[in-house]
Amino acid sequence: MGIDPRVAGAQRYSVDLERPGMLHAAFVRSPHPHARVLAVDASGVPSDCVTLLPDDVQDLHLYGCQVRDEPVLTPLARHAGDIVAAVAAPTAEAAKAAARLLDVRYEELPAVFDPVQAVSPGTPLIHPDGALSAGEAVSIGVRPLAGTNVCHRFRLVHGDLTAGFGEADVVVQQAFRTPGAAHAPMEPHAAVAEWEDGRLTIWTGTQTPFNLRGDLAVAFGLEEERVRIIAIPMGGSFGAKTFVRHEAPLAALARKAGRPVKVVLDRTEEFVTLNRHPSVIRVRLGAKRDGTLVAKELDCWVDTGAYADCGPGVATKLGYAGVGPYRIPHVRVDALAIYTNLPPNGAFRGYGAMQSIWASERTMDVLAERLEMSPLELRRKNLLRDGDVFATGEVMHDVQFERCLQAAADAVDYERDPRGKGLCVLLKGMQTPSRAAISVERAGVGYVIRSAACEMGQGVRRSLQLMGAQMLGCEPGQIDVPEPDTDTSPFDTRTTSSRSTHMMGRALEVAVRDLRASGGERGYGEVHNEGGLDPDTGQGVASTHWHQGAAAAHVTVDEETGKLTIEHLHGVAYAGRVVNREGAELQNEGSMIMGLGTALFEAIEFADGQVTNANLSDYNLPAIGDLPKRFTHELIEREGAEVHGLGETVLPPVPAAIGNALFSLGLELHELPMSAERVLAAVDARDARAAAADSAPEARVPVAVDGQGLSG
Amino acid sequence: MKLALELNGRPTELECEPDEMLLEVLRREGLGSVRATCGIGVCGACTVLVDGEPLSGCLTLAPKVEGREVTTVEGLAGADPVQRAFIEAHGFQCGWCTPGFVLTAKALLAENPQPSEAEIAEAFGGNLCRCGSYVKIVDAVRRAAGELAGAR
Repeated sequence: MGIDPRVAGAQRYSVDLERPGMLHAAFVRSPHPHARVLAVDASGVPSDCVTLLPDDVQDLHLYGCQVRDEPVLTPLARHAGDIVAAVAAPTAEAAKAAARLLDVRYEELPAVFDPVQAVSPGTPLIHPDGALSAGEAVSIGVRPLAGTNVCHRFRLVHGDLTAGFGEADVVVQQAFRTPGAAHAPMEPHAAVAEWEDGRLTIWTGTQTPFNLRGDLAVAFGLEEERVRIIAIPMGGSFGAKTFVRHEAPLAALARKAGRPVKVVLDRTEEFVTLNRHPSVIRVRLGAKRDGTLVAKELDCWVDTGAYADCGPGVATKLGYAGVGPYRIPHVRVDALAIYTNLPPNGAFRGYGAMQSIWASERTMDVLAERLEMSPLELRRKNLLRDGDVFATGEVMHDVQFERCLQAAADAVDYERDPRGKGLCVLLKGMQTPSRAAISVERAGVGYVIRSAACEMGQGVRRSLQLMGAQMLGCEPGQIDVPEPDTDTSPFDTRTTSSRSTHMMGRALEVAVRDLRASGGERGYGEVHNEGGLDPDTGQGVASTHWHQGAAAAHVTVDEETGKLTIEHLHGVAYAGRVVNREGAELQNEGSMIMGLGTALFEAIEFADGQVTNANLSDYNLPAIGDLPKRFTHELIEREGAEVHGLGETVLPPVPAAIGNALFSLGLELHELPMSAERVLAAVDARDARAAAADSAPEARVPVAVDGQGLSG
Repeated sequence: MKLALELNGRPTELECEPDEMLLEVLRREGLGSVRATCGIGVCGACTVLVDGEPLSGCLTLAPKVEGREVTTVEGLAGADPVQRAFIEAHGFQCGWCTPGFVLTAKALLAENPQPSEAEIAEAFGGNLCRCGSYVKIVDAVRRAAGELAGAR
């Protein structure tokens, strides 16, 4: 048996693609965060190059997965790095050189880089014509606010908030911030586009082949069947390779050139292609004296950057995940997805859950302190249990929050000594509604399983082989799982939100039953999870199964330098049933390590809309030396349970667990990452409060203040 | 210019520009395991062994390897104990960074057959895995160390 190609160095990715007669592309990007393109002079470009200029895309349409707001080439740059023209040349070097010879004249416009500012009166509008919902293609209702930079408003209303706060004995309020972050997959975005007889084929590393097909069909005014997407295994993605990224201008360039064209983005371009939503989240939480939660209010400003992308979906998921896995009778959530002149922000492992869980779970510990109650006990008292009704109106099923939380607490011996320790428990959901289909065919050595589940390192191929082998009674090695191809793979919504093993596993059961019932040669299975939330009330079905998890952190702080040491980090994910043991462990470990980067040092820095750390030296990723002293995790299973998604579950709780561990030491951090500078500032602030209390012992020191001074 | 070296165990003569990086030259030779990633020598995905020492192909001028032994994972032919250990330990996800980790592990174990945890962290300071397979990568290094010790 051959060695795994990934270890042999034989795995090939989009960057390795070759097509006969292929040219290489380079994109011309706006240096300004907001500027009108006045003229493009291509007269200096060598004659063996093909240029794609604004006039070449007059017949093309705006596209977008949830809001149709993105042009193939933009006449109005909305972020530094927006693509205004493109060049194809015989080599990549020649294309880059030629791109520098294109002379673009701009008229600079006022720009906005903060989501709270972007919704204040008088702010320049980034899409003055307003947002246009992509209509029936969208799985959520999009609610733009006309005449503002808000491309989607998600509201959740449960109970009567005013009455709820009226019942509260204690109310705490606090605002939190999270910065933009880079997915930074090791493999950059790359693709080849080729036209033949009016039909477009794109080979690309993508998590969303069918969405890409649909969006490109819209952009080019084609029937979907005239677009073919072949999804190449990815060298990591984490949400970066979703929906349309580099593919639209590449396809337009290939159309003009009449030849296949390839592009590989450079590392700097990665930082202006898709990032994680920066956010500002204000939490107000009320409880009875005994710790019973009665009311919660969340206001969320979610910065989706220059284009909506899936920002409406992120704001929605962020909104309901921020309610937390608790019984709260009165809840109001108001989450705005807001345009700014930053590069577009989109899906990032957890899809907004980290941002609101950071804010929400930090607030739980603030409340616990005010109640003089153990943070563990406060959570335990209010956790959702089987049969409880969540704020969306859903009746909870297969609920394991208490097991997850207790396992996390036990791992760090929380109940014996909680000092320097913090907990976080979370609820998140899977893309709902969605649809997954799969086919099984008998083949020479075994079976071929076709689906559009995309491999990005998460091991979906292996999981399909393992599940298939069990259902079909063969060895995993006898099952071939070809690359997704929209011409031959059955439809799947997309490879996101930890849904593939859950949805494809269910579809595969149907397909195998069909195969058995129809002669053993071929079977087809399709499953739907129905639902979705009403964007105006947040009522409906957020998720047909719940991602449940927890984390616990034990930290020590060097109070002279602010250096934070993670003595122990423990993550817990509810797996239902584990399909691929090592794969599931790798998902837990990888999620926690990404969560550590988010917690401790990852942030995209901007100066006037320009990324100032667009490389892997100034933007640090966790390395082996960044692992905590003790780094442990577990997968909770339950006899007879269905498979639960777990590819993201233990990323979101890591920052809050660490933040709460710091809070147990009197260190209040409200903004990520928790850098040494911020920890040191929190030490100084704590000492200043103590000094003030000493000089006026009767004065009560407010534990929770609205530090951001937000209005609205 | 001509560049003579021993590439994956075979005397080889390559064409290169005097200012070209080794990464480009090796990829042109079809050695796809050497991967352009950060371009500034911090991520280790283009690691090659030059006379046994791990170097970043993106920062090494090709003419500097004249007359030297250059090894990529293609030269290990899948039979290397370190590669086997990565498979047994499941020390990879997407596989992009894996060749760099395998070569760095080989160099580490050649110099230090029983590295401590701190020495492993130090040796891999220039190798990044965004999938975060580090726990199992460290396990792979330990397994390989054990196997190599057993073989001696």
